[in-house]
This record gives sequence, C-alpha cells and structure tokens, in this order.
Amino acid sequence: MVWKDLLVERRSKETLNALFFFGLLLLFVFQFALGPDRERLAGTLPGLLWLGFILSGLLGLGRTFVVERENDCWEGLLLAPGDKSAIYVGKLAGNLLLMLVIETILLVLFGFFFNLDLTNVLPALAVVIALGTVALAAVGTLFAAMTAQVRARELLFPVLLLPVEAPVLLATVKATEAVLVGEPLGSVAHWLKLLAAADVVYVAVGVLTFDFVMEG
Amino acid sequence: MRSLLGGVTLAGLVAGLVMGFAIAPREATQGNVQRIMYLHVPSVWVAYLAFAVVLVASIVYLVRRAEAADRLAHASAEVGVLFTGLTIATGSIWGKPTWGTWWTWDARLTTVSILFVMYLGYLLLRGMIEDRERGARFAAVLGIVAAFNIPLVHFSVYWWRTLHQPPSLVKPGPGTMPGIIVTALLVNFAAFTLLYAYFVTRRARVLRLEAEAEA
Amino acid sequence: MADNWSFVFAAYGLAVVVLTAYWRFLVRRERELSEGSQVLREGSGMSEQARHPSP
Repeated sequence: MVWKDLLVERRSKETLNALFFFGLLLLFVFQFALGPDRERLAGTLPGLLWLGFILSGLLGLGRTFVVERENDCWEGLLLAPGDKSAIYVGKLAGNLLLMLVIETILLVLFGFFFNLDLTNVLPALAVVIALGTVALAAVGTLFAAMTAQVRARELLFPVLLLPVEAPVLLATVKATEAVLVGEPLGSVAHWLKLLAAADVVYVAVGVLTFDFVMEG
Repeated sequence: MRSLLGGVTLAGLVAGLVMGFAIAPREATQGNVQRIMYLHVPSVWVAYLAFAVVLVASIVYLVRRAEAADRLAHASAEVGVLFTGLTIATGSIWGKPTWGTWWTWDARLTTVSILFVMYLGYLLLRGMIEDRERGARFAAVLGIVAAFNIPLVHFSVYWWRTLHQPPSLVKPGPGTMPGIIVTALLVNFAAFTLLYAYFVTRRARVLRLEAEAEA
Repeated sequence: MADNWSFVFAAYGLAVVVLTAYWRFLVRRERELSEGSQVLREGSGMSEQARHPSP
C-alpha cells in the first residue's frame, strides 16, 4: 500500500500541473465561446463550473492506470495477493484527492475571473462538490481500469463515463445553482439524497465488480 | 419452436395494428396523431425489459461464466438499443405536430436518450475488445453499472423537468383513458414483447453460430 | 393538418422499415453461418471418404 501511495503521489504531481493549465484554458475557452457579457455568464456559472470539473475529471481519471500500463507494473497489480477491491479503494482514494485539488483550483480561478464572493456559501458548496466528486471518481476509477486494457482507450473512456454521469451532472448543477444564490442545503435535499444514493451505488458496484475487471 | 414464436409474434403485431388503427377511436384532444403512442409506449417498455434482462444475464455471467448468459446479454442489449432508438424517433415524430418542435427536453425523451447513449456505449465496448472472454466480462460489469444507473437517471431527469417544485408534486398519471385505448395499448404491449423475445432468441442464436464458427 | 396522418404514417413506416431491416439482418446472418458450417462439415466428410474409399 505504501508503494501504491508513492505511485499516486508521483502521478499526481505530474498530472496536477497539466490539469491546472487545462483548467485555466477551459476558463478562457468558456469566456471566448460565451462572450464578454458578464450577466449571461453568471447565469450559466454552475453549469460551467461542473463542465470544468467533469472535463478535468475525464483527463485526470482516465489516466488512473496509465502508469501501471506504461511501466509494466500491470502484472504486479494482477498478481497482488488478497482482494483486488483493495486496489480499487486505494485508487479511488487517490483519485478523490486529485479531483478535489483540481476542483479547489478551478473554484479559485472561477472566483477570481468572475469576481465571486464564495465565503458564505463555501461549506454548502463543499458538500455538493464532495458528493458529486465521489460519484465521478467511483465510476471513473472502475471504467479507467477497464479501458486501460482496451485499444482506443482515450475514446472509450469519456464515451462510457459521460452518459453514466448524466444524472450526477444534473443533480450537482441544480444543487450548486441553489447554493450559489445562498439558499440553504435543505432546499435541495432531494438532489443531495440522489447524489448520496449514487455515491453508495457506484462505490458498492465498483468494489464488487473490480475483481472481474482485473482478471487479466 | 422458432417458427411458432415467429408466427405468434406476427399475429400479435397484426392484431396490434388492427387495434391501433381500426378499433381504437380517434382521440378526443390530440386527434389521430395519438395513434403513434401505440408504437412509442410499447417500444419504451420493451427497451426497459431488454435492459433488465441485460442486468440479470450480466450477473449470471459473472457468477457462472455461462456463455449463453453472455450471448443473451449481448442480444438483449442490441435489441434494447434498437427499441430505444425507435422510442426516440417515434416520440420525436409525435412531438412535431403536438408541441411544434422535433425535439424537446421533456422527461421521457431525455431519459430515453441517456439510456440510448449508455447502452450504445455498451455495444461499442463489446465491439472494441477482440478477446471474447474479456469482452464478456467487461460488458457484464458495464451492464450492471448501466442498469443501476437507470433509476438515478429517472429521478434526476424528472426532477430536472419539474423545475422549482419539490418532488412531492404528484406525478401526472395517464389520467382516465378510455378503456378501448387501454386495451389497444395492452395488445401492442403484448405484441412488442413477443417481438422482443423473437429478436433476442434469433440474435442469440446468430451469436452462438458465430462463436462456433470461430472455434 | 388537424389530424396529421402524415406523421402517423411516417412513424409507423419508420418502425416497419427498421424492424424489417433488423429481421432480415438476423435471417441473412443465420443463413450465412449455418451454410458455412454445413460446407465445413460436408468438406470434412468428403475428405474422409477420399481417405477411406469404400471397398
């Protein structure tokens, strides 16, 4: 497990820089695509924020097992004694950390460019982001393990992940909308419950089926 | 046995057509455009049935590694995607004269579109893996994830469409439909279910022949 | 315009076309595959005969 942590850290440092610049570029692209009208952009802010999270997630999560594939550590993973689900949980934890760092950076950038004051809404926003990120990372880690063993993985990973995450995207954007205008979390309780349910289901399925994905 | 199923299916489809066009009356508010529903609603039912079968077959495959279960999952997913596409198309064609637009993000069309893309991805995954055993395994995992996602899609889309109202709002039911329309619908439900069974059995047989040919 | 029969026929027509096309795909595929395996079986049967000519 220590070996795994070191791997995670090494990959994270590599990917973090790239994803930071990617996030910055996304903000530019959003601005260019949607025009300088601040008012109009402000209305779409929750959507843009989660678009940013998901697009960064596609890049970051898709690379979950790339290091093992590239460095011939894959067989090591397959031969690891004990329940392979432990690998899933380890990778999931690493991915969660990675995603949360990226999302924090993106949030700061958004706040800067759109001149947002997030101090009051931060706790509520954090809850929404946390719930959504678990859902993203849980399925993303599982699918990354699958597509790592398939040709054209860069194409297949987003194609598989995005439809599955559609309800998560709906829920998080709606919840974020409410939270950003200062509404209490209670007003979006149904969305939060859906996200929590998604988290439980996805992690459970991930843990239960990871073995089947890693049979070699 | 196959010809028997085929014959019964054909009879059922003819009966459905007769019910839909000749026996069911012109609907009061929508006019004859409503007859598209005899296609659209049974299609979506078959799609859900198909994906439920994919779930069960996927679990059975992972637990017992029965090739037949894998073939059933594959066939059912393919037929499911077929009927999902049909649902979207007929829904859109119904929508144009009714709502004035080819496309709208209403709850059903949105949900069905997400399902369509999910299971299309399933077929894509199968197509991209050469190793038969690995393809079966991965597809089974995806089949399970996709099926568990269906209720999440349902609720999220439904709440998304009812905007600012909390979900305690009563879901608009079919209301009181005249009995004859309900009967016509049921006949078409039965016919389409038979068609599903017919297609899946033939498709699974083709898959078995393909596997034997490769052996 | 009031009844939009053209839309009804478009929908049903599309359904008939698509479902028939899929059915024909299935029939054709099954025929190809069973003929193919038959040829193989006959072929091996014939070579058996060639190697062991009946007295």
